[in-house]
Amino acid sequence: MFSKLFPERMPSTWRLGLMLTLLMACSMTLCMTVAGWAMKQNLSSIARAVVLDDLGEYAVLYNRNGLKEIKDVFAAGGHENDQAVRITSSDGGVLFEQIPVAVAGYRWPDNAAANLQASQTLLITVEHDRREQQLLAGCQVLNDGNILWFGRTDAEDRAYVEHIRDDLWLAGLVSTLFMLLPLWWFVRHVLRPVQDMMKSTRKLAEGSTDARLLAPNAVPELKAFATAFNDGLDRIDALTAELQSANDNLAHELRTPLARIRGNLESYHDHTENAAARDAAARGMEEIDRAADLVRTILTTRAGEHKALKLHLETIDLRELLTHLHDLYKAAAEERGLMLSLVAPESRWVLLDRQRINQAVANLLDNAFAYTPRGGSVTLALSVNDEHHRILVRDTGPGLSTADLTSIWKRFTRGSAASAKTPGMGLGLSLVRAIATAHGGQTGCQNRDEAGAEFWIDLPAGDPLSAANGV
Amino acid sequence: MHLLLVEDDTELARQTSLWLGEAGHSCTWREKGGAALIALGTEAFDAVILDVGLPDMDGFTVVEQMRARGFGLPVLFLTARDNVTDRVRGLKAGGDDYVTKPFAVEELMARLEALQRRSGITPATSTRKLGQWTLDPVKRRLRHDSETVELQPREWMLLEVMLANEGRILTKKFLLEKVWDIQFDPGTNVVDAMICRLRRKIDAPGMPSQLQTVRGKGYVLQAVP
Repeated sequence: MFSKLFPERMPSTWRLGLMLTLLMACSMTLCMTVAGWAMKQNLSSIARAVVLDDLGEYAVLYNRNGLKEIKDVFAAGGHENDQAVRITSSDGGVLFEQIPVAVAGYRWPDNAAANLQASQTLLITVEHDRREQQLLAGCQVLNDGNILWFGRTDAEDRAYVEHIRDDLWLAGLVSTLFMLLPLWWFVRHVLRPVQDMMKSTRKLAEGSTDARLLAPNAVPELKAFATAFNDGLDRIDALTAELQSANDNLAHELRTPLARIRGNLESYHDHTENAAARDAAARGMEEIDRAADLVRTILTTRAGEHKALKLHLETIDLRELLTHLHDLYKAAAEERGLMLSLVAPESRWVLLDRQRINQAVANLLDNAFAYTPRGGSVTLALSVNDEHHRILVRDTGPGLSTADLTSIWKRFTRGSAASAKTPGMGLGLSLVRAIATAHGGQTGCQNRDEAGAEFWIDLPAGDPLSAANGV
Repeated sequence: MHLLLVEDDTELARQTSLWLGEAGHSCTWREKGGAALIALGTEAFDAVILDVGLPDMDGFTVVEQMRARGFGLPVLFLTARDNVTDRVRGLKAGGDDYVTKPFAVEELMARLEALQRRSGITPATSTRKLGQWTLDPVKRRLRHDSETVELQPREWMLLEVMLANEGRILTKKFLLEKVWDIQFDPGTNVVDAMICRLRRKIDAPGMPSQLQTVRGKGYVLQAVP
């Protein structure tokens, strides 16, 4: 519900802080309004009682000894500054008036007392023309028919209310600050650990499988979560390692039985007179060769992925290497009706594993050949700059889909243009990447504006010895 | 040839000795490196076929010890490991050639014969005639009367390798290694395309091709008389 109150990217700390402050402000305002209203009610009933009380007292004094008594009382002093007393005749003439400065300026409602009976009292609230304070005036008809007035302003009450209000604000501010303590706790023990965990998971996503969630200061629930998550990761790691070693052993151990089967098939092939049987044996041998190639590719890719691919480094001219590959593929290109061209203007001597790089580039060429329709062209190019030597293979095939661009380098992933007829199991590009990585290089691909795709291998131009894991 | 076969896989050893027998060679089989070293001292062999993964010591060590004891005979490694690194290590240790499993009989034979030639047992007598053509190794071309066919360097090399193993079926793997020095099999049928091209150049019209493709096994050069 509250999520829509804030902009999308606002951090949780700010959201929580704002929410708490807003809540405190609301509750403070409510408190002040209710307390102010209650105090006003209270003070006004007290004020009425004071006015009635004093009016009664002055009336007793007057009725007993007349105006002189009242004058004596005032002459004795000690009169309140916000209280006024006056006596008027029944026709409105002022007989006595004692009005301090604070109470001056009010228009006394003299005619309001006209219909009063003897001993009757009346209370009227009088506004001032310029001041906020109100005058609460009471009047009573005296025994001799004159009228006694007593008035009191609410200045003191107002000051009192203001004072209380100030205190309340202060209390509110302090309690708001206290309310922010949970925010500090939330940031330290919940938010920050969550952010740390986020960093770790990002590392995991980037491929560093040894990253773990750390939450030393987190709340117990988060700690438990991190522990459970880490346990899961450890388990996955252990399983992966087990699976990988099983895979490697399997791949390695497969070759000897494959050799045995192939040997027997070959004997059979050479000794049988039956043409159909010989053909079947031949197909069987082809399949075994394919399986052996697959095993070899898996082993190389796996070793490359784990930086365990041993390289046999030699100083090689990249242009010469590409020229040889161009030679090797030229006949096959002609057969397929493809134009294979080589763009390698200058010699570049690089320290690399010739067989591996040959294999990587050959894989890119295989792909280009498999996906480029008859009449198309494939270009093998070498471009160099200060940072790297780039081996490029461009084709005029169907290109790559958006999904292909990111996932195509993974093992057993085939491009969306692959069909049942296209050869391969989706291992070629992962092999290319594994070999490039082992050389301290990188791979990349993109669609060309003119249609077709472009794949490349970047080999570092610096000292390759420091980057590659050679032997 | 009399050969020493060192291989711990019984079935593979049985097959290999059978083939060697069929090809007219005799062979002694040992399962372990230690036993092989002893056999070397008691019998005279023309060459050794040595598995790299042996139960007691690896093939590289066997060769090193062999060489240290003064046995200079050719050694052909037979292995499930096919890293260039392993290959280089094997050759450095004193081996002469390297065959990876699974392998074809003919490949093994071709390599053995090459080793034999190298060690000077039977000098290579390459007939420089191919069907109607006379070969001109210097200018890398074929001649017949006034007609000449130019071959590109790799085509010439392919023809040379095929000629050196005339009548023997050569695997794609073997040709890739000998002609292009490439130790993997590209997905594209590069060898097939090259053989076709060479076939078009050397075959006489209306005659059966001298370069045959044997399905599942490889290519063979059968010179038409």
